[in-house]
Amino acid sequence: MADNDTNPRRRSLLRRLWDGFWSPTGVLSVGFLLIAGFIAGILFWGGFHWSLELTNTEEFCVSCHTMETNLGEYRETVHYNNHSGVRAICSDCHVPHEWQYKIKAKIMAVKDVYHEVLGTISTEEKYEERRLEMAAAVWAKMKASDSRECRNCHAFEYMDFTIQETRAADNHQRAIDDGMTCIDCHQGIAHDLPPGYLEEYEHVVDMLAGTTPIGQGTEVSDVRAWIGGQSDAAH
Amino acid sequence: MISFLDLLGTIGASIIGLPGIIGVAVGMATRNWVVAAALGGLVGLLAPMILGGSHSTHVAITPMEYAISIGIGLLAGLVGCAIRHKGASV
Ligand code: HEC
Ligand code: HEC
Ligand code: HEC
Ligand code: HEC
Repeated sequence: MADNDTNPRRRSLLRRLWDGFWSPTGVLSVGFLLIAGFIAGILFWGGFHWSLELTNTEEFCVSCHTMETNLGEYRETVHYNNHSGVRAICSDCHVPHEWQYKIKAKIMAVKDVYHEVLGTISTEEKYEERRLEMAAAVWAKMKASDSRECRNCHAFEYMDFTIQETRAADNHQRAIDDGMTCIDCHQGIAHDLPPGYLEEYEHVVDMLAGTTPIGQGTEVSDVRAWIGGQSDAAH
Repeated sequence: MISFLDLLGTIGASIIGLPGIIGVAVGMATRNWVVAAALGGLVGLLAPMILGGSHSTHVAITPMEYAISIGIGLLAGLVGCAIRHKGASV
């Protein structure tokens, strides 16, 4: 072979490793190999899971200074500090619990590292310029998943509307009737909102309409009506 | 699918998740390529039904997620079968 002529030693080493890997062992029993593989598997899986959990801590998220803006804003909210002391950290809202969605979120987050190196949001100005786009990415995920991460802790089913303030209870009843989801009304629950966020949110809803099964029969018009009311109130 | 990134994430999660892992395992259990692919595909179909969605909430699984999961399961079954052919004489 041509490869053999140019680099015979390296080639033959790889070849020998490959052949060795696939040849039956003369000295190890099946039981020995199985037990060794089993133990190696447990160690590998445990280590994998442990490191994955490490990447769910608040310390990990804000180890990138670009995430500190969001940390500061979140610290002003009820999810950081409240009368009961129960709180939600970054990963509670941003990383799903279910294995396959969690892995998916972690794989997608590789782009965070890329943008960190690139310095996409390295200054305050750059950050604010990009905030709407980043927020829209989060909204799209939450809208498509029917705000799954919020509902890991909150559920309409267990809300006592009689002790909620009237405005909240009325709106939640309406949300159940119209199949709306938490993020439809609770944008900015943990961070500052950029100008023009309602228009952008509406855009996200339009984009997703029809492509994903959202709630039970959510109508874009319901969301739009709510957003319309919000903008009127703001004016 | 929300975006291309979302697509990549779904594929990656299927590979490291049940369809990829159990897919290779069932593939290794047979020398028959068709059976391997079929079993792998079956795992790909069952995985989202069993582990997917969300237990506390009811988020529908999209056809695209099923398609990717089945596709990855099928390929994993074939990889497992190749391992069987290469690494075992029975
Ligand atoms: C390597 C540094 C780094 C770490 C660690 C990091 N981030 Fe980020 N994150 C970034 C950068 C940079 C962006 C901007 C990406 C862009 O511009 O698209 C970003 C964007 C985001 C966004 C915007 C939405 C999106 O998907 O684009 C969210 C939400 C987010 N990060 C949450 C988190 C959470 C939660 C953690 C901890 C689990 C975390 N980040 C850890 C650097 C990091
Ligand atoms: C880890 C659990 C957890 C998650 C996840 C979570 N929350 Fe909360 N939420 C809480 C707790 C705890 C409180 C405060 C209860 C209290 O007042 O003691 C709270 C309070 C609230 C409030 C009341 C705010 C106020 O000013 O009184 C709203 C609205 C809310 N959450 C919406 C959301 C939305 C929307 C999401 C998803 C983006 C979400 N929550 C995700 C635990 C969570
Ligand atoms: C139709 C719009 C709408 C939807 C959808 C909606 N909310 Fe609300 N929610 C409100 C309004 C309005 C209030 C009262 C004002 C406020 O606290 O922001 C409220 C208040 C709350 C409060 C505080 C209640 C209290 O009395 O302290 C919590 C917690 C909350 N919402 C959680 C959720 C969660 C979780 C979801 C999704 C399962 C959700 N909301 C969906 C409109 C909505
Ligand atoms: C209570 C839920 C909740 C918690 C806790 C939370 N976030 Fe968010 N985050 C959101 C929501 C909802 C959005 C979408 C934008 C919005 O509505 O403000 C968002 C958006 C973001 C964005 C996009 C840029 C922006 O400002 O909109 C980044 C980055 C981010 N979060 C990082 C973090 C980090 C880092 C932490 C922990 C320090 C954290 N988040 C904690 C709910 C949360």
